[in-house]
Amino acid sequence: MSSERLSGHFSVDDSARRIRNYRFAEERLTRVLGGWIAVTPELPAKLLFGRHVWDCAQHTDAWGRRLPELRAPAQQSEPANDAMVAFMRLLESPEGPRQTLERIVGVYTVLKPHLVTLYARNLGAANAVYEPPTRRILARCLEEERRHAAAGAIVLRRLGADSNAQHRVAEWQRRLLDALDKAGGVTGDATGALVDETLLGVTPETVAPDLVQTPPDFDPTVLPADLAAAVDAHRKALETADARGVMGWVAPDAQAAVDAAFATLVGGMTATRVVGLAAIGRQQMVKLRVEGARVGGLVQVRWTPTSSGWRIIAAELVSTEPASAAP
Amino acid sequence: MDRPIAYDKLAREDRFVRMRARDVAQLKVDQGLPPFPDLASRESIRERVHGIMVGELQAMEGAGRTVYDFPDAPWEFTMDMARQVWDESRHVETYLGLLEHLGGRVGEFPESTILWRCACAEDAAARVAGVNRGLEGLACDVFNQLIHIAQKIGDPILEKSVDYVLADEITHVRMGSRWLNELTRGDAERRRRAIEFQETIDERFNLGGTRQDGHHEVVPISIAKEARKLAGFTDEEIERLVKSTQRSQVY
Repeated sequence: MSSERLSGHFSVDDSARRIRNYRFAEERLTRVLGGWIAVTPELPAKLLFGRHVWDCAQHTDAWGRRLPELRAPAQQSEPANDAMVAFMRLLESPEGPRQTLERIVGVYTVLKPHLVTLYARNLGAANAVYEPPTRRILARCLEEERRHAAAGAIVLRRLGADSNAQHRVAEWQRRLLDALDKAGGVTGDATGALVDETLLGVTPETVAPDLVQTPPDFDPTVLPADLAAAVDAHRKALETADARGVMGWVAPDAQAAVDAAFATLVGGMTATRVVGLAAIGRQQMVKLRVEGARVGGLVQVRWTPTSSGWRIIAAELVSTEPASAAP
Repeated sequence: MDRPIAYDKLAREDRFVRMRARDVAQLKVDQGLPPFPDLASRESIRERVHGIMVGELQAMEGAGRTVYDFPDAPWEFTMDMARQVWDESRHVETYLGLLEHLGGRVGEFPESTILWRCACAEDAAARVAGVNRGLEGLACDVFNQLIHIAQKIGDPILEKSVDYVLADEITHVRMGSRWLNELTRGDAERRRRAIEFQETIDERFNLGGTRQDGHHEVVPISIAKEARKLAGFTDEEIERLVKSTQRSQVY
């Protein structure tokens, strides 16, 4: 065997430190993806996170099990430096229901592609004679992180198609890359590009089967024709502030309660649309998104069939938000 | 991110109509209908499948929160919960497919968040007792019933899909039993509180007498004794559950 085959880049201690750094990133990813599932409204993103929590946990575990083989305590994570901790805090910070794109961008266009870059470089440099246990973990993590990044790109394209969203995405990505750069990457000593796009190398088509096939968006044509006509007339009366017209659709004994449900939203109401429909026996709960000049919101309106056609028998204001925050 | 998050932070697409389970049941009773799907028609099966689909969604969200909320718990606990997140995501996919198979759509029936609320217990031991043993135990009963119905109406797609989910649920109950023991070892008071929490969930999910001891043909939801034994419930625990169903006559 030539002595060249035995030359290597990393000492045992160096290798253990890098692995603790990787473990820090993978563990944080495991936890934050798990935590975000509940606060993310969109099914494609929710299920994307749900799919990847277990893979990230297995990466974390594999790194943690390798450590005792390198004279280090098992299952320990270590951030490379304080700037890496700050980067992770920044990445984890978008928690609001309207910040799904920021969550996807942070994980799938910054951290995972960066891990792909680091894993590929490490794999290229790790010695083939005495580091195969590390190389095997690197190869597995590399392959799966590549697939994750590609899957995230598909969901990002689906949810963030409009130009405003693309601007937001680009700005957030830039902030995160700046923070990651300050840390010197996950290992604190990254040289060269933090994300090497040429290493990603998985086409969206390849990973499309990894994604849960989510159902199409709500289609208002599912309303039965007679109910749709009544709902449309009620909406038109709401939009034109026709109080008598509105109340014409409400059962007499429900008028005060229905009036109260819409009270916050009346005045400056600019548009309404049907966003959901749920059956409760013969009754139908129609969910309306109401847009206003200052405030918008969601109202659930319960309709029942009567001898004179569909009538509203209850309504509930579900949520309100400033007009500027409306989707 | 807060640990744990408030109940009302649970995020949904607009298409979901959220209501209290009790209100939905009452509105149906007021219309002369059974409070819960009786599985006597295809529409009723669809409603049950929709309810399970949102339950799986909440189970995925709850397990995900457990991964996040307890960073100081043993690493193997986190691994089990992360595995459960993945399982639940596949269950959501399964039930989305079954909903389509039955001609339904997401949001077709109201969603109640009662399961999610149970998944928000502040103590990890209470969470695994309540969710993994209480709710996943209920899932064993409900899925066993659904498999029976699928066999009866000759729907192999429904039968096979639900059978695979049932196998996972049995695994989740086992995880719950393991972690209830390990997390409360040496702390009898914590164990007592966790089991008490599980029992309140068992009582609540007897669904006003809908879950009972008896054959599938005779009772609306039969306690799946064999599946529960496989999952690690003791005879004594099953007997206690049977007794609790006899005193739950309101929803």
